[in-house]
Amino acid sequence: MKTKNRSLTVAALYGGLLVSLPLTAQIVAHPRLLKFETLKYDPPKAAPARHVLSNGAIVYTVEDHVFPLVNVSLLIRTGQYLDPADKIGLAALAGDEMRAGGTKTRRPQDFDEEADFLAATIASSIHDTQGTAALNCLSRSLDPSLALFFDMLRNPGFDPQRLQLAKTQRLQGFARRNDQTNGIEAREWERLLRGPVHFSTAQDTRGSLEAITREDLIAFHQRYYHPASFIFAVSGDFDTKEMLGKLEKALAGWEGPKPQVAKIPPPNHQPRPGVYLIDKPDVNQCRVSMGQLGVTRDNPDHYALQIMNDILGGGGFTSRIMGRVRSDEGLAYSAGSGMPAGTYYAGVFRAYYQSKSATCAQAADIVLEEINRIRTAKVSAEELSTALNYAVGIFPRFFATPAIVAGTFANDEYTGRAPDYWDTYRARLQAVTADDVLRVAQKYLQPDQLVILAVGNAGDILKGDPTKPQHSFEKLAKGALRRLPLPDPVTMVYPAE
Amino acid sequence: MKTPTRILALLCWTAVAVWGQKVPVEEFALDNGFKLLMVPRKGDPNVSAGWVARVGSVNERPGITGLSHLFEHMMFKGSHAIGTTNVKEELQVIGEMDAVRAEVRQEEEALIEKSRRGLIDDPKDSKNRTPRHRELLAKYEALSKRADQFMVKNEFDRIYTSAGASSMNAGTSQDYTIYFINTPANKLELWFWLESDRLMNPVFREFYSERDVVYEERRMRTDSTPTGRFREMFESMFWQASPYSWPVVGWPSDLDGITRQEAEAYYAVNYAPNNLTACLIGDFDPAQAKDLAKKYFGRLKRGPRPPEPVRTREVPQMAEKRMIAYAETNPQVQVRYHTVADNHTDEPPLIMMANLLNGRTGRLYKSLVLEQQLATNARAGSDGLKYEGYFELTGVARPGKDPLDVEKALYKEVEALQNGLVAERELQKVKNQEQASDFRRLQSNFGLMIQLLSSEALGSWQTINNYVERFQTVTPEDIQRVAKKYFGPENRTVGVYYTKAPAGRPAGSGGAQ
Repeated sequence: MKTKNRSLTVAALYGGLLVSLPLTAQIVAHPRLLKFETLKYDPPKAAPARHVLSNGAIVYTVEDHVFPLVNVSLLIRTGQYLDPADKIGLAALAGDEMRAGGTKTRRPQDFDEEADFLAATIASSIHDTQGTAALNCLSRSLDPSLALFFDMLRNPGFDPQRLQLAKTQRLQGFARRNDQTNGIEAREWERLLRGPVHFSTAQDTRGSLEAITREDLIAFHQRYYHPASFIFAVSGDFDTKEMLGKLEKALAGWEGPKPQVAKIPPPNHQPRPGVYLIDKPDVNQCRVSMGQLGVTRDNPDHYALQIMNDILGGGGFTSRIMGRVRSDEGLAYSAGSGMPAGTYYAGVFRAYYQSKSATCAQAADIVLEEINRIRTAKVSAEELSTALNYAVGIFPRFFATPAIVAGTFANDEYTGRAPDYWDTYRARLQAVTADDVLRVAQKYLQPDQLVILAVGNAGDILKGDPTKPQHSFEKLAKGALRRLPLPDPVTMVYPAE
Repeated sequence: MKTPTRILALLCWTAVAVWGQKVPVEEFALDNGFKLLMVPRKGDPNVSAGWVARVGSVNERPGITGLSHLFEHMMFKGSHAIGTTNVKEELQVIGEMDAVRAEVRQEEEALIEKSRRGLIDDPKDSKNRTPRHRELLAKYEALSKRADQFMVKNEFDRIYTSAGASSMNAGTSQDYTIYFINTPANKLELWFWLESDRLMNPVFREFYSERDVVYEERRMRTDSTPTGRFREMFESMFWQASPYSWPVVGWPSDLDGITRQEAEAYYAVNYAPNNLTACLIGDFDPAQAKDLAKKYFGRLKRGPRPPEPVRTREVPQMAEKRMIAYAETNPQVQVRYHTVADNHTDEPPLIMMANLLNGRTGRLYKSLVLEQQLATNARAGSDGLKYEGYFELTGVARPGKDPLDVEKALYKEVEALQNGLVAERELQKVKNQEQASDFRRLQSNFGLMIQLLSSEALGSWQTINNYVERFQTVTPEDIQRVAKKYFGPENRTVGVYYTKAPAGRPAGSGGAQ
């Protein structure tokens, strides 16, 4: 509102100067002088789109008849977190092989031929904390496509040869796990933050893969795939009543008790602050992550933290880290920070950049300075209003397509999001003040608790830039630099640390 | 950035066109040659907005390779109105910086000559600099600090961000440079204001320091990935005469030497309104958009001369070319053939040929992966650029298998297409898939905008509305004809990759210290 009032007065002044020109020629001297209509937008409501089928499956429907396509997304209560300790990789493999391994009555090649001829895309996978399946087809091939989709969900064949092929492909992939610095950085960062024994850092290995049998896949499917564990999100060119009838029919007679699904376990690990270095001698750019544990999404501070992070490093070019590391110093192409709030347990604050080996330490010092600055001085009114305007302005984008709307409804139910979340979202953000930003920065960013990980050419990183000896990784580590070894990529055994 | 240029579907493959309709694009041209494409659509209160300049690395020449991409970065640095507290004084300082920079360049060239004669090792090593060189650099540094005092950093970005606009970015390809954003429906005039302003009076701030950012981009994409430098080498080996032979990011020596004057000359011709097309898709009123286009983009002046088409064409390849590389990657093979440019009449059968080879039911997966168990992955692709085109086959060897056997098996699949006609049902399958995926591609406003602009850059946006006819009429004979025409051994370039142990570690073991 403040901006608007200001623009009105100044616009009037300029208007006076330009009075003799035709209306179309009146181009204001700066965009702050433009006037915009207010945009009113109410998020779509989940309740009217929600349906419950007789065997407990939940269905969200959003009709949209612009294109002759139907999209069916399914969430299943399962996840890789349910892998037995000696069979890491089971859930992921089960999810993939449901799709790849045919069904009890369709050989894999026949299933694929049918799907491809219908031009239906059918998918299945199991992620960390949920299973997913999806169908996208032309609305006129809906019935045969649904038939294939539900045959996969109910009667997966887990063809032994396809299973063997999948194991071979995975094994081949294992061998390459230490080739790319981005992969190494992501994996070792998680391990430092979550600890080596949490499901989120568990790695499948040659041994765990070889231990997984076809019977394991069948048992996993039987245990977790049941309509009472299903949440559908259906969007596109269909009639809701008809669609519910089709789904009801497709799920009819699916026997068995409602699956008992274990709770998602939080990590039990206190990250050890300090500076860690992983040597990858053949690259000329290092990748750096620095951060600490954050908050869950039900923490009321997470709105203020979102704004704080936006100003610090989440807001692209407008943010401080990008401004200093890239725009001012030219030390990186990509630099910033993220602070996603966790759904089931605390998320992670992470600042990051990639810079040539020699300037890696200099960039680290700059990021640390910015972390310190945001916890010692209040952000400016302009920074705050930019971050708030952006956060509120992009809100309608969260509901940009019918598939996104239906998917959001389903996901909110799956994760148990508060029902008034979207209705109150903008107001909660708009309530954030500069004092809030300072308070949460002080509370949640603790420089002495930071974990700093660098992956790159260790020799060159430590050498630094000889013309700027004030920046050094050794100094950053206060003499306690820890070198991390890489694991054997196939067995994932780490040399004694 | 690269985008597929094909889009959409209208004809039913059955004789009855039940739901066929063309993408209803309204085209609006200004007197200065600027074009606006509009597709109003209901949905969330947002407009996908972008524009394309028909210029990319193919329009460069040795000495200024990488300029198109560097220029793309420059377009975010502001204008006479944005990004400055006093443009008059700032431009004066920038002029002085250019003069000093020209003198620095002479010093640099002297060092390059010394290194050419073996008198010094590294022309970039600061210890080789003459006192005069150091003095000039200090002078430049001081001027640069003065220029910074006038700068309002990243103001362009901040204005959009503050307006709730999102996904702002740009991309440079061999053939075009594209700039795009999603803007809230009520802020459409802001888009017209900012985009026309940066086209009318840009200021290439931080021109010389931005190259450091581009070097980091190059390190990230090319130097510090296991196969980046080999892929770059393969491109240069594949193209003999064509300017597609250099990377979009440019050769390091050229990035070092490019001047602001060269950038300005490039801008005057290639970013003139007669070389630009914009596109709006989403929640807006076309009548209002036309008024705004006249008001804002109408300010731009036609270029001093029309941009010229690229003159240098690829010459016929006379013998197979082969690269053997050792990299931290799985053993694999890449085979590439010269074919045809985008929108050539042979392009649809070539794309259909790739589709027949691809996917879970494609010939490569069935034969190389499932039956022969030679590969864990194999695929084909047809890519039509503006002036030339190619067809590529790739396969990753199964552990213990030789990539050269994968290569032979790939040729066998091409021979099968040369020697026999594709069955009607197999062809129908890929036609069905093509049609469905055309609808899928149309669903997102942002995706459709990118498709329209890239098609327009390669020829005309209209191609998206005759694409289906071109596709659904491909016959088995067409596929056999192109398989015979383009896939001779002398027309191919082959890259063979073997696994190299990571530097500093023995093969197969992980963390020896």
